[in-house]
Amino acid sequence: MSTLSTDVSRPLKITIAGVRGVVGETLTPELLVNFSQAFGTYIGPGRVLVSRDTRPSGVMVAPCVFSGLTASGCEVVDLGVCPTAALQVAVKDSDAVGGVAITAGHNDARWNALKFSREDGIYLNPQQAAELLNVYHQKEFAKARWDELRPVGRDDSAGERHLEAVRVQVDVDAIRAAQLKIAIDCTNGACSEFTPRLLEGLGCEVVAINDDPELSFPHEPRPTPPNLSQLRALVRAAGADAGFAHDADGDRLGVVTEDGEAPGEEYTLCLAAEMVLGRGDPGPVVTNLSTTMAVDDVARKYGREVVRTGIGQVFIAEAAFNYSAAIAGEGSGGIVFPAINYAHDSISALAHIVNLMAERGGPISGLIAEIPRYYIIKREVVCPPQRAYSVLEDLRRDIDAPWAEEINLDDGVKLIGADRWVHIRVSLTEPRIRVITEADAKGLAMDLADEYERKVERLL
Amino acid sequence: MTGIQSLKIGVSGVRGIVGQSLTPQLVVGFAEAFGTYLDGGLVVIGRDPRPSGEMILNALTGGLLSTGCSVIDVGVCPTPTMQHAVVDLAADGGIAITASHHPAGWNALKFCREDGVFLNEYQGEELLSVYHQGAFVQREYDALGRVGHDEGAVNRHLTKVLMSVDRDAIAAMAPKVVIDSVNGAGADFAEGLLQKMGCEVVAINDVPTGRFPRDPEPIPENLGQLCEAVREHDADIGFGQDADGDRLSVVSAEGVAIGEEFTLAFAADVMAERRDGKLVTNLSTSRMIDEVGERHGCEVVRSKVGEVNVVETMIAEDAIGGGEGNGGVIDPKLHYCRDNLAAMALILEGMARRGVAVTEWAESFRPSAIVKDRVPCGAGHTQRAILALQRHYADEQLDLTEGVKVFFEGGAWVHARPSNTEPIIRVIAEADDHATARRICDEAMQVVNGAIG
Repeated sequence: MSTLSTDVSRPLKITIAGVRGVVGETLTPELLVNFSQAFGTYIGPGRVLVSRDTRPSGVMVAPCVFSGLTASGCEVVDLGVCPTAALQVAVKDSDAVGGVAITAGHNDARWNALKFSREDGIYLNPQQAAELLNVYHQKEFAKARWDELRPVGRDDSAGERHLEAVRVQVDVDAIRAAQLKIAIDCTNGACSEFTPRLLEGLGCEVVAINDDPELSFPHEPRPTPPNLSQLRALVRAAGADAGFAHDADGDRLGVVTEDGEAPGEEYTLCLAAEMVLGRGDPGPVVTNLSTTMAVDDVARKYGREVVRTGIGQVFIAEAAFNYSAAIAGEGSGGIVFPAINYAHDSISALAHIVNLMAERGGPISGLIAEIPRYYIIKREVVCPPQRAYSVLEDLRRDIDAPWAEEINLDDGVKLIGADRWVHIRVSLTEPRIRVITEADAKGLAMDLADEYERKVERLL
Repeated sequence: MTGIQSLKIGVSGVRGIVGQSLTPQLVVGFAEAFGTYLDGGLVVIGRDPRPSGEMILNALTGGLLSTGCSVIDVGVCPTPTMQHAVVDLAADGGIAITASHHPAGWNALKFCREDGVFLNEYQGEELLSVYHQGAFVQREYDALGRVGHDEGAVNRHLTKVLMSVDRDAIAAMAPKVVIDSVNGAGADFAEGLLQKMGCEVVAINDVPTGRFPRDPEPIPENLGQLCEAVREHDADIGFGQDADGDRLSVVSAEGVAIGEEFTLAFAADVMAERRDGKLVTNLSTSRMIDEVGERHGCEVVRSKVGEVNVVETMIAEDAIGGGEGNGGVIDPKLHYCRDNLAAMALILEGMARRGVAVTEWAESFRPSAIVKDRVPCGAGHTQRAILALQRHYADEQLDLTEGVKVFFEGGAWVHARPSNTEPIIRVIAEADDHATARRICDEAMQVVNGAIG
């Protein structure tokens, strides 16, 4: 039994991105029921679809969510275990008024979270999330009468319908003809059942690891290079043409080349954009302020604009919608394909990159080599939450960067030059200030990171 | 009625109106309290078919899993089926989601311990203390419980009942039976049991929708449709159930609802004929069970009112039968729970072996009339009322086990006791005829009113 903690780092985050906490500590059944009933009050009455990833606590979280939604008068449809992107397609393509994804994405198995989407399958935006929080805090929830309570429905087809939506977007014949051998690491997450099925249907030879949704996460479910050693070894051993790694709920995709190298998840967006822009999908590219400027080079190649947003999935999704983007995404490996949904969708990303490989021929390392190489440095400075915004305010008044051609204040401070940029912002999820720099030379990126990390520390 | 007034949290469980007082938050809290109280283990959950049952099941499941308890869902079934399953599955506890004879808008939680018997008063107090203290066990992600389903619970229960009864005798009689299941938990299963025993069955209100076509309490004034159906189909007997299959009432071939007190009298007559030993019932139950005791040479032991009190006395006395005058029959050969399936089996076997009709069997008992009434009385006044009754009846023979029970010359009696669940004093009187029973009851009610006036 865990004891209650008064520690400020008690792991519960109630933010615009939903409610996230550690099971056994902060993510209690009461909290889950209250949030679900608040969401039902806010968005209902009507049909609400619920999905979950494979983490073990989903089995406890799901009935809490069902009861809170049902009590508020909503009709719950349980989609079972499927990628969050599949939930979002299902919400968009049905008469549902909203969706709840039970997943802590790339966080380890101790965590779980609720992520709320509205009737178009897009997450609540900050204004809507603030409204939901007001309902939650006011605690005056809708309570349906006994004869208005609806039974929980079940729909096991959302994952397959998502795959179908992906298949019609890619060149199936070209992929089949290429006879690719693909290694995948599903981290025993929500894609375990679906990605192998998709790839086999596309005529690929599949070598899968960690594709058992009943087993625990074999490593942190974040597809960043430190978590890809198993996949890199597999690609080399199997002689695969490429390797791909999912996170737990099918948001983010990591890439491994045929020679077992992991170039970093910033390349996922660049490769997917090559495919989508190359085949002529109209519209600009949307990405956030902290993503690599290689995206600008890819867009420029195809004569497209790049729209930069603040950090957060919903900003990407809303901008993708508002600007009719061809593609959108983040350097974390989460890519949005507006033709399919407005969700971070690693299965779609994988299918498009495989399509690119089939179309362009040659090894994936060659495709990556065509993308300009930059160096990204990510630092963070621990900062008490009550100081975070004033530090940024001080920094804003004290900008001294003659190299900067542009200053963007949409989300913290971003200074942009021809060959470098630095972005200093407050983390939404942790009591930290993040400093991210990128340059075409590693030394320059490091120097810039050192300079601004020191600056933040001094202001503190 | 407002939400605040409708909520009853007591030693016998939690009851409230859905959409008002019985919220998922409350249910989750009680689930966590029960999981904390059990300190992990396996919990069986059954429910009646009220539309709110699934919402409550989900809230219970989430709460229990978070404390490390695993859940076996036995689905929509009679409450005794859940109690059987607790024993069959060697579980550590059970929960029935049912507001029993209350209207469809109500629901409730009833907590059961590892022997498949409801928590007694002390255990109920302990659970409430855990709930009020609010410091629940919270397990980490890798120590949470799991959920399983048991589709076989009802069939196992039915099989046990079938094995316990003289099926050949019933089949030879081939009685025509009308059953009114009030669209409750017993709806589909009772019909199956009766058919397997060789009855010709007419079922009414037999779809378990949880939308009750009548008040689910199986007392004569709610059984008009059943009486009519018995006459219309020229049946031998009618059975009226409550919503969760633990209270039963009998209708005669003439289409007369003979009253729920006869259910236990008949069933006890059969249980006492099968085996030697004691019979147990509560203080407010008809004296007909005393006649059964005399017929078969069985001692009758009276307990305080409440199913668990009867059951614990039965266990302590190693009784061969027991139950309550509200239509709840307990056959300890099967399990220590009130069980309509067992009651129907016993009564049909009794008719077959005796070769009697319902009316004939009922007339074998000394004529009796029972009057059940109530006096509103706040909790602060009950003691004054009880003392006034003791003084008023000082010259009569008294039993002070629970409230005051007065025995009069000639076999009449009156029992007055504070209700466990409502701010009232219940007054029950029995005599040879209705007028006398009414008069005895009125007298006691006047004494109560005079004391608290």
